[in-house]
Amino acid sequence: MKLFIRAALLIGACAVPLAAQDEGAAKAMTVDEIVAESNRVAYYQGRDGRAQVKMEIVDAQDRTRVREMTILRRDDPAPAGADGKVPDGDDYCGKQRFYVRFRRPADVDKTTFLVWKNPGEDDDRWLFLPALDLVKRVSSADKRSSFVGSNFYYEDVSGRHTQADEHELVETTENYYVIESKPKDPKSVEFASYKTWIHKESFVVVKVEYRDEKGETYRTYEALAVESVQGYPTVTKAKMSDLRTKGSTTVEYSDVAYDIGLPEDIFTERYLRREPRKYMR
Amino acid sequence: MKFADRIAEFSARRRRLVLAATAALTLFFGLGAALPSIWPETFPSLHGVEVDTDPENMLSADEPARVFHRETKADFGLSDIVVVGVVDDSRPEGVFHPKALADIYDLATYAKTLHWKDENGEDAGVVSVDLLAPSTVDDISQGGLGSVRFEWLMPEPPKTTEDALAIRDRAQRIPFLNGTLVSEDGRAIALYVPLTDKHLSYRIATALRERIATYAGTEQYHITGLPIAEDTFGVEMFKQMAISAPLAMLVIFLLMLWFFRRMALVVGPMILAMVSVIVTMGALVMAGKPVHIMSSMIPIFIMPIAVLDSVHLLSEFFDRYRATGDRLSTMRTVIDELFVPMLYTTLTSAAGFASLALTPIPPVQVFGAFVAFGILVAWILTVTLIPAYVMVLPARVFENFGATHDEGSASMLTRALRRVGPMTQRHPKAILGVAAVLLAIAGYGISRIVINDNPVKWFAAGHEIRVADEVLNEHFGGTYMAYLSLSAEDRAWDANVFASRLDQRLATRRRELVEDGAEDLAPAFDEMRALLPHAVARTKSRAEALDALDRIAQDKLDAAEDALAYSWDEVSTALSAERQADDVFKDPAVLRWIVGLQRYLGETGLVGKSSSIADVVQTVHRELFLGEQGQYRVPDTSAAVAQCLLTYQSSHPPDDLWQFVTPDYRRVSLWLQLTSGDNRDMVAVHDAVDAYVAEHAPPVPLHHEWFGLTHINVVWQGKMVVGMLESLAGAFVVVVLLMIGLFRSVLWGLLAMLPLTLTIALVYGVVGLIGKPYDMPVAVLSSLALGLAVDFAIHLLARARRVRREVGSWDRALPIMFDEPARAITRNAIVIAVGFLPLLFAPLVPYQTVGFLLAAILAVSGVATLLLLPAVITLLERFLFRGETKSVPPTTEEVSP
Repeated sequence: MKLFIRAALLIGACAVPLAAQDEGAAKAMTVDEIVAESNRVAYYQGRDGRAQVKMEIVDAQDRTRVREMTILRRDDPAPAGADGKVPDGDDYCGKQRFYVRFRRPADVDKTTFLVWKNPGEDDDRWLFLPALDLVKRVSSADKRSSFVGSNFYYEDVSGRHTQADEHELVETTENYYVIESKPKDPKSVEFASYKTWIHKESFVVVKVEYRDEKGETYRTYEALAVESVQGYPTVTKAKMSDLRTKGSTTVEYSDVAYDIGLPEDIFTERYLRREPRKYMR
Repeated sequence: MKFADRIAEFSARRRRLVLAATAALTLFFGLGAALPSIWPETFPSLHGVEVDTDPENMLSADEPARVFHRETKADFGLSDIVVVGVVDDSRPEGVFHPKALADIYDLATYAKTLHWKDENGEDAGVVSVDLLAPSTVDDISQGGLGSVRFEWLMPEPPKTTEDALAIRDRAQRIPFLNGTLVSEDGRAIALYVPLTDKHLSYRIATALRERIATYAGTEQYHITGLPIAEDTFGVEMFKQMAISAPLAMLVIFLLMLWFFRRMALVVGPMILAMVSVIVTMGALVMAGKPVHIMSSMIPIFIMPIAVLDSVHLLSEFFDRYRATGDRLSTMRTVIDELFVPMLYTTLTSAAGFASLALTPIPPVQVFGAFVAFGILVAWILTVTLIPAYVMVLPARVFENFGATHDEGSASMLTRALRRVGPMTQRHPKAILGVAAVLLAIAGYGISRIVINDNPVKWFAAGHEIRVADEVLNEHFGGTYMAYLSLSAEDRAWDANVFASRLDQRLATRRRELVEDGAEDLAPAFDEMRALLPHAVARTKSRAEALDALDRIAQDKLDAAEDALAYSWDEVSTALSAERQADDVFKDPAVLRWIVGLQRYLGETGLVGKSSSIADVVQTVHRELFLGEQGQYRVPDTSAAVAQCLLTYQSSHPPDDLWQFVTPDYRRVSLWLQLTSGDNRDMVAVHDAVDAYVAEHAPPVPLHHEWFGLTHINVVWQGKMVVGMLESLAGAFVVVVLLMIGLFRSVLWGLLAMLPLTLTIALVYGVVGLIGKPYDMPVAVLSSLALGLAVDFAIHLLARARRVRREVGSWDRALPIMFDEPARAITRNAIVIAVGFLPLLFAPLVPYQTVGFLLAAILAVSGVATLLLLPAVITLLERFLFRGETKSVPPTTEEVSP
């Protein structure tokens, strides 16, 4: 709870363009608009981005494994509007590409994931295993499987499609919108519902609780630190806990940069084997 | 007045006091145990009945094997498991059709909900994340376009038979599912339901059975696994205590009634037995000792012994009362005569059981101590309660006492015994010869004794647990889990050795980078090499040294820009490589060694199936390379192994991996599925692994150690066998000394040991010959044999000495001996032997064993006492009665051999 409050304070300290919106306008937002905005803040800020990621996986016995990687992201440009012009702003939340390259532990050094995220459809996913000199397509019909053994799912890393669930604004507190979401296709996911706390001004997701059929919370996400990077509110530390296995994963993002001008061809099979060193740090 | 006389006098005269005291004692112990059991809240400071059917508790909680078992289970996150097997022999495809799979899906979903918070707020019930079912495991397979696919094996029940069969085929391609989740014959499925505590298995199984009862299909569900066997045993044990013990008592009662024809007289010993049992069990519960499989048998052991002395007493009283017609004087005579033999039979029996307290097995210690206690209680009651009881009976009970007694069907016994007597005199050598031959056969039988136990076999054939066990072991690799822990040995820490090794690594990496043309990445390596000796100099362990170096690299990296940052990043990776140099179980050579061990174990025929981290690595490798069977192998470098495992962890239950290997890759657990839970088979697997390790040294030194319930059973059994032998030997010595003291003669003392020696030898000889495994009940019965067999001998020899002294020669003593004394012994033997035969119909094998062996012990010791002892006395009369023959001149017959 302390961390929760700390995260809230950090968000409050951010100078965020959206926070400038007047209260009346924010209140008038529909639940889908809130969800869409928080999705944009979480995954689509800037046209591209980079972060050094340190992932600490702790199990119930306090055994810790550390994984370090670099993540690059690039949003597809917004499609041309009816007038034939490509919109200028950063509001488009469609396809995007992720490039994840491991640095440590040493024996997975250079192991690389490439994800083409296609909201509403299956993603395209590739995997490069340097020690086996193998580039492999990974079938990804199910996005709710572990991301490299951590407590995060692939979908947590790349974002769950906002249209996959029915959202309901169940509470508006002083600082948060509390939204309850239920899957449209319950068979495709392991949760029965999840509840999201979205910071009213920054639209940063501060907490998520996943519940099972019994209504018991079995998995929680918490943003532990939020910083403003180039004016974007950015979660720099977050934790996903599995209350059943009593394991948790904490990720820390450092060296975060937005709008670094990543070329599109980095996100192709060619760069799986050869790291685009120039853009990695 | 002698002590015996005083007791008889006191008990007879203060009979109401004795009766009231007995009633008070019974109430005290009865209520003391019952009240806190029924209303635990009302009596929080008292102990209620606690049941403990856990064979693990045969070892004390701090026993190294148990500590290791507990810790290792925790290290690998393993739980005790209830296995639900589903078979359908009425269809060629078995359970792989939509209807059955829908039910199985439902059952798995339902099982996942069977958890709750216990009173301490801890999770209890099914460990839902570890449940193994078609709907909860991942399938690694080939997707389209040469992709590899991870998905749930059965995300939802299939709609068509083809889909159902496809699930089967996919599962069978995965080595750690084939033979575990799906049977090798492709017709059955097993669900593995892990529990937070094995003692919940009966409760969980009951809930599952209720759910299963709602399914309408043709498939059968079998629930098995060691925890369920053990837990079910506990439940049935109580039923048995409630049925067998009273039934045995009833049969004893009817037989005594038949012998004595006097309800009032027979009721006495029955009350005595009951009081002894209530006091003993009450004391057990009040002492806070749990009712274990062993202690549940305490009533069955106390009853015959309690009845024994009072039958001797009453039998004697019965015979004498006819002559005197005076209860008090008869009782005094009888007590006077029997006091010493009864005291000694009690002491010897108690010594036999008390010796069990010397075994290293806590439940056996408790059992021995409390049976000994019960025997002493029974003795006190025999010399107090019985005289008091006889005195309070209304006078009319004793009217026509002698007249009706002599002696309908019982006279058959009398007549038979009268013929046996002279026979022992005419053919003593023949009797000894037969005994010697029997002893030789027994010796051979004992040499063939198989030491074995198996909790599943505690249930009689045909019991649902036995059936489940057979059916599932037929279809699957085996349902008895044994685990082998292999751990790398830690190297002694030497900072200098470490520093020079790491320096080497850094130098090599630097050279590689320069050779690759990345000269700009070299500077941090030079700096790190310079800092290295000082940085690690004072560290106390490898981990500490690496942590210190990591911090240096991280700080430098954070402060650096551009190329230098990349350089420090490379140094960090090199440090990480050093850290991983000790990841023994990523080493391909080590994994291949494990593959070899598993293959070898498969060839022993005892291990139906084994699973390890090597299976995971090989399966992922195969699927990464288009699923070609030739690619089912361990890749050639540690990094390749690590990358296969990283790929595997992108699955649904990534933590499954840690059930096979610890996250530091210094330790693995090999899962063996044995087709048999017999201890001897587990021992054979131990030996097989030892032999393999001795012959094929692992590439790096590995320490191997077993854990798992099947192994724990072997450990306590080993202790039990040695412990029982030691306690039997100890008790034997104590009894010899008691006998020598009682008869004040070494020769007489040894003579008294003859029947029990023969009895124990014969009983165990037969056990060996018929191939009945030497298990816990069999082992414990040796103490009972010792106690009971010597009883008869004491009674016979004590009387023989007295009678011989009275009549002057064995010749004349013999007919007297084969009248009342022999009759008492025979009646006793018959009453108790027959009384315990109902145990043979118990559905629990340990009770059957006890029933059968008790009957055998009594029969053999009765016969041995009646035949062997008179025969030996006939032969050794000169030595036995030296110095006693003066009072009456010997006949010629007596002195000539």
